[in-house]
Amino acid sequence: MLYSEDLLGRQNADGGWSYFRGGSWTEPTCYALLALAASGTGHEAEVRRGMDWLKRCQRPDGGFAPRESVKESTWVTALPLLLPPRTQGFDRAKAEAWTLEQTGRESGWVYRLRSWMLGADSSTGSMSFDGWPWYPGAAAWVGPTALSVLALQKLVKRGGGPASSSDLNKRIDQGLNYLLARRCRDGGWNHGSTRALGYDSDSYPETTGLALLALHGLNNPNVNEGLARGEQHLAACQSSEGVSWLRLGLGAHGRAPLPSAAGRVPNQGEDGSNITETGTSRPAMHGGVMEIALARLADAAQVGKNSFLDV
Amino acid sequence: MNPKKPLEPTRRAWTKTAGVTLATVAAAGTLESCSQPSARVQAWAPVSIYRAATYSEELYDLVRRIIAEHALNVSGKRVMLKPNLVEFDSQTVINTNPKLVHAALEAFRAAGAADVRIAEGPGHRRVTLDLADASGYFATVPGFESHFTDLNLDETTKVDLVRPQSKLDSLYLPNTILGCDLLVSMPKLKTHHWAGATLSMKNLFGVVPGGVYGWPKNVLHWAGIPQCIADLHALFPKTFAIVDGIVGMEGNGPIQGTPRAVGVVVAGASPVSVDATCCRIMGLDPARIGYLQLTAGEQNLGEELIPQLAGLRLSR
Repeated sequence: MLYSEDLLGRQNADGGWSYFRGGSWTEPTCYALLALAASGTGHEAEVRRGMDWLKRCQRPDGGFAPRESVKESTWVTALPLLLPPRTQGFDRAKAEAWTLEQTGRESGWVYRLRSWMLGADSSTGSMSFDGWPWYPGAAAWVGPTALSVLALQKLVKRGGGPASSSDLNKRIDQGLNYLLARRCRDGGWNHGSTRALGYDSDSYPETTGLALLALHGLNNPNVNEGLARGEQHLAACQSSEGVSWLRLGLGAHGRAPLPSAAGRVPNQGEDGSNITETGTSRPAMHGGVMEIALARLADAAQVGKNSFLDV
Repeated sequence: MNPKKPLEPTRRAWTKTAGVTLATVAAAGTLESCSQPSARVQAWAPVSIYRAATYSEELYDLVRRIIAEHALNVSGKRVMLKPNLVEFDSQTVINTNPKLVHAALEAFRAAGAADVRIAEGPGHRRVTLDLADASGYFATVPGFESHFTDLNLDETTKVDLVRPQSKLDSLYLPNTILGCDLLVSMPKLKTHHWAGATLSMKNLFGVVPGGVYGWPKNVLHWAGIPQCIADLHALFPKTFAIVDGIVGMEGNGPIQGTPRAVGVVVAGASPVSVDATCCRIMGLDPARIGYLQLTAGEQNLGEELIPQLAGLRLSR
């Protein structure tokens, strides 16, 4: 409830939400709406205003711009698709179709042929699967791939949409395989660059949590290693958003936060008016809309309502 | 040098020549002792190399000295300090040290700037305030949040590139940067596994908003890293540079390299000449750094063409 009040207090006059302050952006608006939906009924007027703002960010091609003033459709298109079906107001079918069309630039045959001719290492299969880019024309990365997979999984569960369930499942499998192929040697995930010029890259807490969330339900040794790494990240995570993504990802596999990490779960200030900096053993919260919304979503998931997975 | 065919930089650890160079720097010459540029070739803006062994309180005086010696008139101006924040780690040398940034904040205020802000848009980690916190900025800069703008999430304006060398013709850029009077690029002195070196010009990748282009800002990679560095430089040619070379990074930079105590701060009003000088300090030939070659064009980057204004002298 306190989270909801805090989110409602941060809604911009235009109906959307900013990351911290200032103009509205699609990403925090979607997470705020998801968090409000997770809080149950009520706030219909605020949700309607949020959806009205969101609708203005949908572009003629069906995709969503990260904010109204940006005239490009990007990865954020997956986020409105995660919202409950009862939140109407945008052309869901066109957004779904736009999402299905997107692939990483490295998926193109020209790039693959060039990589093969240059002797690129194909042992991990990391170039073999179609993920999703942040921005059209660029390579696929873990974040947008995980969110697009989650959006398409919801679409399959709901039924309908522009594509057959067979096509959707093929694309979901591509995304899941992309995520598995982009796991870092330490077990977790970063943005998707596992090696650079012969050096292994380290994973990040937030991307590990997000990838684990998208890989829910998979019983796979690679996923198990990812879960172990996720628990390690949670014990040391310095970011409240990172903690929330890890709670969501681990929880989706039935892993409750470790006792040592339980105290790291972000808390709200007692006055309920704002998120305050937590104790020394917990990551600081800076009062961002994403922090508040993700903490709310992680709390809800912990008691059985995972808004990323439930239809 | 053929500007149409940039050479690919060779990634390597700094050679011992860097240490030798800096040892001889201690026997500093003066501006008068520097070779003067040929009358037929235009000289670059001067560069200063200052000795700074540690991140001590002396940095506060040092940045004041930089402003004075470069005659920076910031009275009534809006100054934007752009450090390089990459990873959650206050113990390594990945990020620009907050002490130097705070020293710059104080020095530009003391010089009469109307507003001095710190701004960054990291390319890898999404939650910039958490990254800044873990990097020691909250502990070092009082009221850090009130001075800071996350460039990844700032208001943006679409800007056409000036004679682009990359495959891009425009970029959305943060209004905070577009509206400032003086952009001060404050990178860490580091090698970079793709660009050869990451210095004051590569640091401008941080002004490209992740909120539009994502994390990492992969659009820039596909459009050509050296070319995009050159394009951003063309948009912000009057950027002043203050490079944190007190402890730099060599090897597999910008993240996984190893610390290297260099003990210098390098500054100047021309990012090209500052970066070329930093390359020499690192034992890299600036003529082999693709982005420097692109920005220099027909103009020679020879050391004799980069005057040294004050402080230590880079030996030849």
